[in-house]
Amino acid sequence: MVNPTLDKHQELDATLYRPIYETGKGFYITMAVLVAIILWALYMYSTQLREGLGVTGMNQPITWGFYIVNFVFFIGISHAGTLISAILRLSKAEWRRPITRMAEIITVIVLAIGGLSPIIDLGRPDRLLHIYESGRLQSPLLWDVTSITAYFTASTVYLYIPMIPDIARLRDRGGKLKWAYTFMAWGWQGTERQKRVLNRAINVLMVMVIPIAVSVHTVISYIFSMTLQPGWHSTIFGPYFVVGAIFSGIAALLIVMIFFRRFYHLEGYLKEIHFQYLGTLLLVMSLLWFYFTFSEYLTGYFGAEPHETQIIMYKFSGPFAIFFWAMVLCNFVIPVVILSFRKFKTIPGVLIASIAVVIGMWLERLIIVVPSLANPRMDLPLGIYIPSFVEWSLFAGGIAVFILGYMLFAKFFPIISLWEIEEARTEGIREVKERIHKYLPGDEDFQESIQTIAKP
Amino acid sequence: MEIKRRDFLKLFSAASGAVILGGCGFDDTFALPDELLEKLKKGPGIETWKNTVCRLCPGGCGIRVRLIDDVPVYVKGNPIHPVNQGGMCPLGLNALHLLYNPDRVRSPLKRTGKPGEGKWQQISWDEALKTISDALVKLRNEGKAHQVSFLGHNEHGLMHEFIARFMKAYGSPNYYQFSSFQNDGIAYSLVQGHSQIPSYDFLNATLILSFGANFLEEGYSPIYYTKLYSHHQDRGTRYIQIEPRISLTAANADRWIPLRPGTYGALALGIAYVLIREELYDAEFVRTHTHGFEDWTDRSGEKHLGFKSIVLGNYYPERVSEITGVSSETILEIAREVGVAQRVVVLGDQGTIDNTNGTFTLMAVHSLNALLGNFEKEGGIFFIDVPPFGKLHTILDDVAARTGNQQKPIARPPDDTFPLTHFSIESFTKNILADQPYPLSVLFLYKGNPLFQTLNQHDFAKALTKIPLVVSFDSVINETSEYAHLLLPDHTFLEAWEEISNVPSVGFSHLSIQQPVVAPFYDTKHTGDVLLELAKRIGGTVAASFPFEGYQEAIKLRMKGVYESGEGAVVSEGMKKLWLEYLQQRGWHAGRYESFEGFWDQLLERGGWWNPVRKQRNWNAIFQTPSGKFEFYSSKLKTAIESLIKKDGGKSVSQSMELILNELNISARGDSVYLPHYEPVPYEPDMPLYLTTFQVLPNRDGEGSNLPMMQEMFGYSRRQWWRSWVEIHPETAAMYGISDESWVWVESSVGNLKVQVKIVPGIMSHVIAIPFGMGHTSYGRYAKGHGVNPYSIMRNLYDVLSGKPALEATKVRISPVS
Amino acid sequence: MPKWAMVIDLDKCTGCGACQAACKMENNVAIVSPDEAQQGRVMFWMDMIVTYEGSYPNVHEKRMPKPCFHCENPPCTKVCPVGATYRNEDGLVGQIYHRCIGCRYCMVACPFTVKVFNWKAPKWLDGKLECFNPDVSRRMAGVVEKCSFCAHRLMNIKEEADREDRPIRDGEYVPACAESCPADAIYFGDVENKQSVVYKLSRSYRAFRVMEDLGVEPNVYYLSKRVSW
Ligand SMILES: Nc1nc2c(c(=O)[nH]1)N[C@H]1C(S)=C(S)[C@@H](COP(=O)(O)OP(=O)(O)OC[C@H]3O[C@@H](n4cnc5c(=O)[nH]c(N)nc54)[C@H](O)[C@@H]3O)O[C@H]1N2
Ligand SMILES: Nc1nc2c(c(=O)[nH]1)N[C@H]1C(S)=C(S)[C@@H](COP(=O)(O)OP(=O)(O)OC[C@H]3O[C@@H](n4cnc5c(=O)[nH]c(N)nc54)[C@H](O)[C@@H]3O)O[C@H]1N2
Ligand code: SF4
Ligand code: SF4
Ligand code: SF4
Ligand code: SF4
Ligand code: SF4
Ligand SMILES: [Mo]
Repeated sequence: MVNPTLDKHQELDATLYRPIYETGKGFYITMAVLVAIILWALYMYSTQLREGLGVTGMNQPITWGFYIVNFVFFIGISHAGTLISAILRLSKAEWRRPITRMAEIITVIVLAIGGLSPIIDLGRPDRLLHIYESGRLQSPLLWDVTSITAYFTASTVYLYIPMIPDIARLRDRGGKLKWAYTFMAWGWQGTERQKRVLNRAINVLMVMVIPIAVSVHTVISYIFSMTLQPGWHSTIFGPYFVVGAIFSGIAALLIVMIFFRRFYHLEGYLKEIHFQYLGTLLLVMSLLWFYFTFSEYLTGYFGAEPHETQIIMYKFSGPFAIFFWAMVLCNFVIPVVILSFRKFKTIPGVLIASIAVVIGMWLERLIIVVPSLANPRMDLPLGIYIPSFVEWSLFAGGIAVFILGYMLFAKFFPIISLWEIEEARTEGIREVKERIHKYLPGDEDFQESIQTIAKP
Repeated sequence: MEIKRRDFLKLFSAASGAVILGGCGFDDTFALPDELLEKLKKGPGIETWKNTVCRLCPGGCGIRVRLIDDVPVYVKGNPIHPVNQGGMCPLGLNALHLLYNPDRVRSPLKRTGKPGEGKWQQISWDEALKTISDALVKLRNEGKAHQVSFLGHNEHGLMHEFIARFMKAYGSPNYYQFSSFQNDGIAYSLVQGHSQIPSYDFLNATLILSFGANFLEEGYSPIYYTKLYSHHQDRGTRYIQIEPRISLTAANADRWIPLRPGTYGALALGIAYVLIREELYDAEFVRTHTHGFEDWTDRSGEKHLGFKSIVLGNYYPERVSEITGVSSETILEIAREVGVAQRVVVLGDQGTIDNTNGTFTLMAVHSLNALLGNFEKEGGIFFIDVPPFGKLHTILDDVAARTGNQQKPIARPPDDTFPLTHFSIESFTKNILADQPYPLSVLFLYKGNPLFQTLNQHDFAKALTKIPLVVSFDSVINETSEYAHLLLPDHTFLEAWEEISNVPSVGFSHLSIQQPVVAPFYDTKHTGDVLLELAKRIGGTVAASFPFEGYQEAIKLRMKGVYESGEGAVVSEGMKKLWLEYLQQRGWHAGRYESFEGFWDQLLERGGWWNPVRKQRNWNAIFQTPSGKFEFYSSKLKTAIESLIKKDGGKSVSQSMELILNELNISARGDSVYLPHYEPVPYEPDMPLYLTTFQVLPNRDGEGSNLPMMQEMFGYSRRQWWRSWVEIHPETAAMYGISDESWVWVESSVGNLKVQVKIVPGIMSHVIAIPFGMGHTSYGRYAKGHGVNPYSIMRNLYDVLSGKPALEATKVRISPVS
Repeated sequence: MPKWAMVIDLDKCTGCGACQAACKMENNVAIVSPDEAQQGRVMFWMDMIVTYEGSYPNVHEKRMPKPCFHCENPPCTKVCPVGATYRNEDGLVGQIYHRCIGCRYCMVACPFTVKVFNWKAPKWLDGKLECFNPDVSRRMAGVVEKCSFCAHRLMNIKEEADREDRPIRDGEYVPACAESCPADAIYFGDVENKQSVVYKLSRSYRAFRVMEDLGVEPNVYYLSKRVSW
């Protein structure tokens, strides 16, 4: 007997396999362009290696520029994935199922890029290992190295473990890379025991990953706030950075989702409701971000400490004012307007808001890093920073790596967790029902009935 | 010579914060100079120190050069040298980069291309000297010895004597110094009878009133003055600095008084007005030691107005305020402060003289010293003695020399210009171009860069191209030597012998020995030795006038005299105990010597000789004027101007006088002409802003430009590196809508230049200032192509009496570069 | 244990810049190219801060030479991930060039903007301009450097004092800047030795330290009659 629903499901799921087995011309062209950009960035980096950081636009006193801005920005984006997916998993939000993997991939790729940024920024990358030979754990930079490494490891594992059943499917379907899939599937047969272990592992990881993720961005904020620099020396920097990170992470996730929905024809999986939910989350984060920003500037301004005030005024009205106000527009005005009204809260609307937020959060990082450095406390002239072509190239390279990484991932693995979707169809629905009945007053005996139903 | 052995390798391996060497591989930027590396490989380095003198400005600071295995590695001040007592300025500290400069001329060169093209051919010394001596012998035989000219810089001491001796023995009256201290002293000579630049007793003075003398930054010896200044707190000295822009000196003065450029004379006389009116001047001194204060009647019965009448009649505060832009209250305030203070020094310098009215202005400034009776007084001004040098052999001459020397000097200005000078670059140029009174056949250029440092550069360059043989003695190729046919490379001062004595305005008689600290790096020769060699080649009386084996021997001969005189360092009247104690602590003492050789060795080891005790002078030596007094009314000036009248037969004396004064561009009439007075500068009325220039400590007049570190430090106080800037008052900037660091055109009637703006509150509004020293078109890779030379937009104007270039006489307008 | 400190008498200092030049020569500080210089990458271990006070015509220009303050509680050393900047046993804040990874965190952390970075290989200029002090190592591209209080001089003096078995005398250890200052405005010595000049001056009514409220305890004292620095 043919089960029509099952058929429909299989057909749907086939769209998920399609990108893996069919490669269009568009794919190759995009790839070529991305690779070219990356090669160009590598070439630019090689000039930097040869000539030193002098090829950038940094100077005294603006000793940190694009690379550090990008570092903070990319690491922020990385919160899209693991943290969001972990939170959603933990809160048993069923609508998470088609999103989690997409989010987790963002984390892993972007963490790699973000983690490379400070290395690119080093004057002596050849001495990177000195961090292990003579590392000082008292330095916030070392805290960073530690927590980013931990986060990267945890995220990779957290991405990989839930992929095992899907990889096993790919293995079972045969094809070119069977050996690789076999290897990665780790002998997955879908036995009960394996399922139990898998679930246990996921549960442990998701609990672990949340504090690590929070610590990563807190520690990144510490890089700044542990110094005495006005504009940085703030106690709320930790949560402020974390909020910003989640904020930009969600936006990035939304962009990726909309992109895949459109080009990989995932309308069946990524429905309006997902965008509604995530959009609401984005709105909440936008408000939260504004709250933190407001507190940050108000306390700085009210205290009227001269250097602090100087920097705030510099941000409001100096050469960076245009970026500052653009940031407010992108991070607050645009998303709040779009996301508060049902009329605008469409998928294109959400896309616009998300792009705005990503740009706005990049500007926020810029507004944090550069103006403080441009205003030395001593009576020195204001610093001027104009990023060089090399820095732009490496920025572009970073984004290209991100897109390419994503594309390649989607080339070899389904970007939506098949088994989790399937699990939802079977156990998920039951579990939700069960859960709902647990909450509902007067439905205590339903528990038993459902158990009896379940019994074959 | 101190010798310390030190195990450098041990030092290298030691671990301290600053002293850790990189390994190899990626860290290969560590590279010692080859010589040093070779020597270091052999084992422990030997550290030695040698004393010599810094020659990067006329300042005369004693320096100590540190050598490791005979390679110079560092220069510091000689702590026992009385001029600088260990202090240094940035330029002097950078001296080694001159020695190691990659653009040094390494052997004699012959120009094969057009000037400025940079095409030179290497030739041997023998060939070069032969070319020159052949030309010299030929000219001499033809009776044209006078057609040879030597244009020096401000060399004094033995080198000055050597060149003069050469020219005299050879037979030419045409030895000139492009910028001699003598020329600086013309105004002094009018009132005090000799052109010696005074020394100032800053230590004992209670008030220093400086009319634009930027003695901490420029001046004749900035470091000597900085040392004196450093005692201002414990000595309670007050400094007042009058100038349009905050120079380094103004920045350190207790009070800065900005005034309109070119009007110092008026301010000085305005102060004189208050001093006289309120009877705050030294009446006793004025009565006994000055001439022309009160109205007087000369021998012929003619009545003359005195200084007093002229000042009281013309320089009342309101009028002076109108001229200078300094408020009447301020004038009264300073004048009273000056009058009440016990010991006041009044001084002016280039800033005062560098204008069309410079001589009159400095006369006015100096007359305040007379009013206050400052001469030879504690906390006043005084003159020092020439060291008791040994005499060199007499100069022999023959017929050719005698006839040559009797010719009219070629630089003598035409009758209607510059009556007080025997050299003005302007007349020199004009006469060469006009073959007046005779053509010039050979020109020697020594140590100077007049083409970069003058107005009317175009004509001077033309004159240079007209001369059949131009020979330059220089260590590098600069704007001027680009025009030379032959370039004879001189040693740098660290490779050469020299004797430097009595730096102007330093308060005691002194001399320093400049000795080579390293053997010459290249195939260069001391210019003194070259002259000697040329004399030998010319032969006859010329050779006989140079009976020395070498330049060094001549120095020794001069030093013998010093040794034999037995004079030396004892207590000074001028500088008093405090400083002497200070010197003694640092080990400066004369010592006794067994023989001349012992004295000589001490001299080399310690770097110099001084005599802080001045000989008693009578007033006739202090004032060598016809009246034997300080002459408010300058007889010398009167004679000079009247001598022009006699030649103008026909007209009445007064008509003729009127004509002469008009030609000289002097607006005063009657007795005022010979008295200190304010002579307005002929500024162009339609230009809104005054252009002034200044010099920065690391660069000098432009000489520091081939030192990259000095180029970097050029605008260290304005954070301007390797470039020129124009200082503008915020109000002026606002008026023209100009923002900081933006580019503007500065335009005069002569030309324009593009330069970046630095808005500073430390300048008068309506005055702009551009530093001098940048804008080289030659002078090596570090100098060329950075910044602008303000000369290129200055009008071709000179001091009406002395022919000195008027550097502050141009007005300009500015506009933003679109 | 001596505590080395510098006192700069701003009432004496003229702002001549000799200390800057002496320091550059003594410590082989690189000269950057003109283009680099315009980009704000000049390297002075001793910097010069110029400010104006008052309104025209009563304007005062004030100049203040600024070395590394060798803070007692240096924010710069705390942040270094590899210990390439540290307070050594003499209390001087040093840089270990061959360990520095060039993250420039210490530059960012120094509240006084004293550190400089080798943005490019410190190519010493053409020809023979390579002359330099063999006591001080030259830096390579990509590392941070700053005033060392002329620590190499201290080493020599310590060696000498050790050989002669005596403590270091007051005024024996003089950095290059102090030595060349024409106004004798820079004093250097042990601020805990009650006999030393520096001790006395640091307790003068004119003495102050820059931004004392930060609590980093600079070991450079300034003297000035004017209070508002
Ligand atoms: N705008 C402006 N112009 C001025 C002045 C001003 O203040 N402003 N000042 C004027 C005054 S007061 C003066 S004194 C003159 C100064 O003018 P100059 O006497 O021309 O002095 P510098 O420009 O310092 O020229 C020094 C030159 O000497 C050469 N030189 C350096 N070392 C040696 C050496 O060891 N041996 C030899 N043989 N040559 C060497 C170099 O080529 C260098 O260019 O400028 C005058 N011009
Ligand atoms: N560091 C350094 N030292 C030097 C030299 C050098 O180039 N650099 N050159 C040496 C030589 S050769 C000389 S002759 C001396 C020159 O030494 P100074 O006579 O002190 O120097 P100037 O540059 O001629 O003028 C000094 C000041 O005059 C002011 N000034 C501008 N316009 C006017 C005006 O119209 N009237 C008046 N009175 N002042 C005005 C300017 O603000 C400037 O600061 O310095 C000697 N010492
Ligand atoms: S003032 Fe500077 S340049 Fe002049 S002699 Fe002294 S150290 Fe040398
Ligand atoms: S050397 Fe002395 S006088 Fe000159 S700037 Fe430095 S501290 Fe001041
Ligand atoms: S002044 Fe700056 S660089 Fe020097 S020790 Fe203090 S914090 Fe560190
Ligand atoms: S730049 Fe060098 S010294 Fe500074 S914090 Fe980084 S590793 Fe340490
Ligand atoms: S103490 Fe030494 S390193 Fe520091 S500024 Fe002075 S000369 Fe330079
Ligand atoms: Mo001069």
